[in-house]
Amino acid sequence: MKILVIGYGSPIRGDDALGPLVADRLESAGVPDGVEVMSRHVLTVELVAELAGRDRVIFLDAAADAAPGRVDCRRLEPARDAVSSMAHFLDPAELLAWCETLYGHLPECFLISAGGASFDYANYRLTPIAERAVEQMLDGVRRLMADEACIPAATHQGRAAAAPSPPEPDTCA
Amino acid sequence: MSRTLTIEPVTRIEGHARITLQLGDSGEMQDAKFHLTQFRGFEKFCEGRPYREMPALTARTCGICPVSHLLASNKACDHLLSVSIPPTGEKLRRVMNLAQLVQSHALSFFHLSSPDLLLGWDADPASRNLFGVMRQDPALAKDGIRLRQIGQSIIETLGGKKIHPTWVVPGGVNEPLTQEKRDAMLGLLPEGLEIAKRTYAFFKTLVPRFKDEADHFGNLPTLFLSLVTPQGALEHYDGLLRVKDAQGRILEDMVPPLEYERLIGEAVEDFSYMKFPYYRPQGYPQGIYRVGPLARLNNATTCGTPYADVALAEFHMLQESGPIASSFHYHYARLVEIIYALEMMQRLLKDPTILDPRVRARARSNREEGIGVAEAPRGTLIHHYRIDDDGLITWVNLIIATGHNNLAMNQAIRQVADAYVDGNALQEGMLNRVEAVIRCFDPCLSCASHAFGQMPLRIELRDPDGGLLDLLSRD
Repeated sequence: MKILVIGYGSPIRGDDALGPLVADRLESAGVPDGVEVMSRHVLTVELVAELAGRDRVIFLDAAADAAPGRVDCRRLEPARDAVSSMAHFLDPAELLAWCETLYGHLPECFLISAGGASFDYANYRLTPIAERAVEQMLDGVRRLMADEACIPAATHQGRAAAAPSPPEPDTCA
Repeated sequence: MSRTLTIEPVTRIEGHARITLQLGDSGEMQDAKFHLTQFRGFEKFCEGRPYREMPALTARTCGICPVSHLLASNKACDHLLSVSIPPTGEKLRRVMNLAQLVQSHALSFFHLSSPDLLLGWDADPASRNLFGVMRQDPALAKDGIRLRQIGQSIIETLGGKKIHPTWVVPGGVNEPLTQEKRDAMLGLLPEGLEIAKRTYAFFKTLVPRFKDEADHFGNLPTLFLSLVTPQGALEHYDGLLRVKDAQGRILEDMVPPLEYERLIGEAVEDFSYMKFPYYRPQGYPQGIYRVGPLARLNNATTCGTPYADVALAEFHMLQESGPIASSFHYHYARLVEIIYALEMMQRLLKDPTILDPRVRARARSNREEGIGVAEAPRGTLIHHYRIDDDGLITWVNLIIATGHNNLAMNQAIRQVADAYVDGNALQEGMLNRVEAVIRCFDPCLSCASHAFGQMPLRIELRDPDGGLLDLLSRD
C-alpha cells in the first residue's frame, strides 16, 4: 500500500506547528516501505499530483475550533464545491476533489487533528497540552499506516489531560 | 450624485485587497483605487534581531515566494560580511531562484489566471474557476501542476524538505551539490521544458482573441525597471539596474544595485498599507514604473538561451515598436521566462564546476550597512539593513516587487474601469475585468499582508449617504 502523510501548519505560530512537527517526528522515528512523509507550511497545488499515486493519504493538522488537546480522526471526502480564493488550499478536501477530477483517482483520505491552545505569532513552542497530544497523533497515524482503516472512536479519539470535555467527535471510518 | 463601488476581496491573487471605484453624477468613472487592507510591519519587528536571523525571518514573509526573500536577504548579509561568494555558491543560488520562478509563474498562469483566459470574463461565475478549467482542459491543468511539482522538487533537492530551508546562508550555501542530486534535477528538466513549450505555443493561439483586453488592461506609457547583465541580457539573481522609458530610451543603465536609493523614492497614501515607490528623478507620482516579467523582457536585449530567445523575439512582435506597454502581456512574458528558467537551469547544472565543494565564504560582519537585490518572480526585490557594533539590526527597508507596481496597478484599474464599467448598470463581467487586470501583475500581497480565512466577493454600489443602490455578490 502506498501511503502519504502530510503534516501542515506554521512552525512559528505556537500550536499550529502540530501537523509538521508530528510529521517530522514520525519520519525521524522511521516509517515502513511505501510510506512517504511531508511537512508543509500550507497546502499548495503541486500536492494534487502527489495524492494521485497513493492508496491512502493522511493529513496532520492543528484545529483552532476544537478543545485544546483533543485529538480527532476523520475520513475526508472530496469537497467538490470548495474553491479557494488564493493559491493556498484552505482545506485538504479541496485537494482531494482536484485529484479526483484531474486524475480520476480518489485515495482513502484521513485527517488527524488536535485542538491547539495558542496560535500566537513568532511563537516557536507548543503549549504543554498540545505537546501531550503529539503522542496521540503519532499513535493515530501509525494505526492508519498499519491499515487499520476502521478504528473505533474510543481508541482513536482522545484528549490530553486537563482538556475540557469534548463534544461528540467525528468517526474515523 | 457621486457613488462608490467596492470590490472586496479581490480573488485569485496572493493575499487580500479591496478595489474602490468612485463614480460621478452620471455614472462616469471619477477615480479608482487599489487598497492593501492589512498591515504586517516586518521592517519594524526585525529591529533588534541579529542580522544572521534576517534570511530566516524575512523568508516567513510569504509562503509562496520565500526563496526570493531568502536570496535577497542573504545577498544583503553577504554585503554586511563584505565577501564575494564562491562562484559555485552563486550558481547554486541561481538554480534555486530559477526553480522558484518556474513554480511561481506556473501558479500564476495555470491556476490563478487560466479561468479568465480559458473561460472568459463573462462566463458564469459558478464555472469560471479552476474546476471549470479542469473540466474544459484537464491536460492544461495537469501541466500546471507538473511544472509546479518540478520547481518545488528542485527547491527541495537543493534546500532539503524542511518548510523553510536554511541551505542558503550568508556567504554562499552551506552544502555542496552531489552528483546524485545534480542528476535528479537534470532528469526533471526536459519534461518541464516540453510542458513550457507546448503551453507557450497554445497561449500564442489565444492572444489574438484578447486584443480588446490587451488595449485596455493597463496599457500604460510607464517606465520599466529591472536588473540586466553587464551585457544587457535577462538577469534574475545579480547584475545591474536598468530603467527604460515607454519609447524605449534607456534613462539609467548599469546602475549598481547598491545605489538603488538614487533611482527609487517611496511615497505613502492614506488609503493603502502598501507603499508607492516612484522613479526619483521624475518625482511622485509622475515617476511611475513597472517591474516583473514584462519589465525584464522589455529591458533585456537577449535572454541568452536558444528557445527563450525565439520567444523573446515573438514577444516584441506583440506591438509594432517600443517596449510592450500592455500589462495584459505579463501573462505572455511569464511563459517566456518559464522557458528561459528551465533552459538556464539545464546549462547551470551541466556545468562541471557546479559540483565544486567550495560553496561558502566565512566572515563576520565588516560593515554597518548591507543591500541585497534580486529579481523575484514578480519583480525587483530589495533588502536593505543597518546593524550596530553587535550585529543587531537597527533599521530595515524592504521594497517588495508588488510595491514597485503599485502606481501602475492603480492606473491600470482606472483604465479598465473607464473602458468596461457602467455605473448605472452593474454586470458581473465588467467587475471581473477590473479584478483580472490586477491578476496580470500577479501581486503577492502576502509579502505585505498574510490573509487568513476566506471571504465572499461582494461588490456594492452606494450613494454618498451610504444607501445601497446596487449589489453583486458571490458566496
